[in-house]
Amino acid sequence: MRRSLFFKIFGTYLAIIAVSFSVLSLFIRDEMKKVMTDQIRDQLLTYAELVDLSSTATIAGQIPQIARISGARVTLIDAEGKVLADSEKKSEELENHLNRPEIRESRLKGKGHAIRYSTSAAVDMLYVAVPVKNGQDTTGYVRLARPLHDVHDTIKSIYNSFLLTMLIVAVLSIIIALLFAHRLAAPIEAMERFTERLRRGDTSGTIFINTSDETKTLADNINYLVEELNSKIHIANEESSKLVTAFASMTEGVMILDAADRIEVVNRAMNNILALRFGDVTGKTLIEVSRSVDLQRAFLTYKQTREPVSREITLGSRQPVVLTVSISGIQGDKGSEKTMIVFHDITRLKKLEQVRVDFVANVTHEIRTPLTAILGYLETLREGAIEKPDEARKFIDIILKHAGRLNRLVEDLLTISKIELGEVKINFENTSLADALNNVLPLIEPKAKLKNIAITNLVGEKAPQIKADRDRLAQIFVNVLDNAVKFTPENGKVSVDAKEANGYIVTTISDTGIGIPKEEIERLGERFYRVDKNRSRELGGTGLGLSIVKHLMIAHGGKMEITSQLGQGTKVALYFPLAKV
Amino acid sequence: MEEKRHTSIQYEKELQKVKDSLIYMAALVEQAIAKDVEALLRKDSLLAEKVMEEDDQIDALDVEIEEKCIRLLALRQPAARDLRFITTAIKINGHLERIGDMASNIAEKIIILNEEPQLKPYIDMPRMAEIARSMIRESIDSFVREDIVLANKVRKDDEIIDNLNEQIFRELLTYMMEDPRSIHRAMIITQISKNLERISDHAKGIADMVVYMVTGESVRHEEPAD
Repeated sequence: MRRSLFFKIFGTYLAIIAVSFSVLSLFIRDEMKKVMTDQIRDQLLTYAELVDLSSTATIAGQIPQIARISGARVTLIDAEGKVLADSEKKSEELENHLNRPEIRESRLKGKGHAIRYSTSAAVDMLYVAVPVKNGQDTTGYVRLARPLHDVHDTIKSIYNSFLLTMLIVAVLSIIIALLFAHRLAAPIEAMERFTERLRRGDTSGTIFINTSDETKTLADNINYLVEELNSKIHIANEESSKLVTAFASMTEGVMILDAADRIEVVNRAMNNILALRFGDVTGKTLIEVSRSVDLQRAFLTYKQTREPVSREITLGSRQPVVLTVSISGIQGDKGSEKTMIVFHDITRLKKLEQVRVDFVANVTHEIRTPLTAILGYLETLREGAIEKPDEARKFIDIILKHAGRLNRLVEDLLTISKIELGEVKINFENTSLADALNNVLPLIEPKAKLKNIAITNLVGEKAPQIKADRDRLAQIFVNVLDNAVKFTPENGKVSVDAKEANGYIVTTISDTGIGIPKEEIERLGERFYRVDKNRSRELGGTGLGLSIVKHLMIAHGGKMEITSQLGQGTKVALYFPLAKV
Repeated sequence: MEEKRHTSIQYEKELQKVKDSLIYMAALVEQAIAKDVEALLRKDSLLAEKVMEEDDQIDALDVEIEEKCIRLLALRQPAARDLRFITTAIKINGHLERIGDMASNIAEKIIILNEEPQLKPYIDMPRMAEIARSMIRESIDSFVREDIVLANKVRKDDEIIDNLNEQIFRELLTYMMEDPRSIHRAMIITQISKNLERISDHAKGIADMVVYMVTGESVRHEEPAD
């Protein structure tokens, strides 16, 4: 058990009181006894010396008288120690007294005394003896004895009252000690309770101590420290919550490895990037969770050089993720340096970069094909074909065809770049779908007739009006219908329909064409993307048609959706926002 | 696995190092197979040559891991679980090294194949390679996670590869019968397919060792249970 400060202080007081009182009592008791015994002895000696003035013979007769006056037992002893007379006992019954200590002492010093337990009286007795002298000769001894029980009784009564006083004083001083100890210990105990609460993490409140000594200063200091602590904790909490939020919400994946190269912590983005198959990754090693040779190599390079490493790596085989990985150290004590790896997902960027590269390559390719043809035929003409009108006409037709294609390509490119730059103004007006289709269909029908394709227009005159730019709308329909006819084999069907859904007018153009493989549909809006490259070019496409449609639909606040079944046909759904009446 | 069972942190680190090296080696052989497929589909003989060069790395790792394991056996005198882990690691190491050699063999064949026109579209072989790769990956996963269910899946996947191998062979047979000029190419394709089949056998071997490591029972010569 803990010995509290209060009990320590109080206990010390108690011990001091107890020791001082017991020392005092012992001392007083002995002193009193001595003083009283001495007094009786001196009195008896005075009597004895008075007696010794007479001769032995006279004394014998006076014994009862002497005993009465002195209040003591009187014994007369001759020089040989034989008892001649005794005031209380018959002298014949008593043995030789020569060797009694008091007699011996009186023989040597002139007077003697002794305290002895008397068997005959069964009490402590004080014996006093003086020699009786006749000139120079000792003729006998007078011995006076008095029991000491009255001394004992007196001492006892005095001692009792003394004890009582002591007890009262003791009780009083204990009470005072109690109060004093309490007063001294209370503030310290209060501080103890307060600091104990602090230790458990409760830093609320202050400690108040109503003293003016050092404990007050101590309490004030504690209060000050707690206040400081609270503000530090507050700052630290704020900082860490900022960091935690940043750590959790940043798009870059962050992984921290401990000194033993095991994962200590990863953020949410990191989990998403790795699409971890291992559940909890903490405690695992980098290679264990990434399985990437490149990443491990980058990490080993960092471990060897301790210089920050930055690499571009690809993770995963089915859905590759391209990441830039930066590996750097987190400063720590020697031997416990941690490693931080930041992963930045650049898959999208890479894709865009690829699209741009592809675009340039595609444009060049698309331009070069007709140009080559044009140049070739022009050269043939110059070499002499121009002299043969029949051939020359044929060649010029071909040149015209290719030049036309080149022209279309450039126009399409211009359109697309204008739309992308936002330079195309969409003049929104309430437009009738039926009118728009009626204007466009005559342009397509001749082509369709060549392949014996029937175009069915199911959009009635009563179809709701849409908000659109008339010219752009025509452009959209021409592109989509042209595609439908192009990719539908002979004797196929193309149909156009419209219905209202969720605030949109959905115009669907379905064909019974060759269809598009599922995995290619997503890429159809990309510039120059062709499902079947050779075939499309054969049919005179620029590879930009659907891309233009897609962008125009977005500019109209709508969208384009394509569903298709390979070999069965394709359905293009155009979502136009409804016109507000 | 309770990681704190070893009193010596150093020992613990050495075991983890063996494990990490094996995973790294597995990643390397997986990459080699992936590059084989790419080289085949893109007719990229340079890439195939690279695969052959990179086999040296796998061989070096093989020696390194074996040495580490032997040193552990000699110095630490492991018992029970650790002993099984180390012996399994030695076996897996051997399997991975062989897979690396086969990936290199395949690369060699691809270079020869690329010198002649393509006999047929490659559809089944990339599939086979993909399955073989995922078998390696899963067998190593099962080793890392001590997952017997996954190990048994790998052991069963071996059948798919066996069937694909036979299918490729039958198909090539028809080509060879139709046109004797195709025999050379068909033979090489058969060899590639055979190599892939053996890669899957080694992956199965790894899975067998994982079952042994976890349960202490040897299943190497048993058919996987359904």
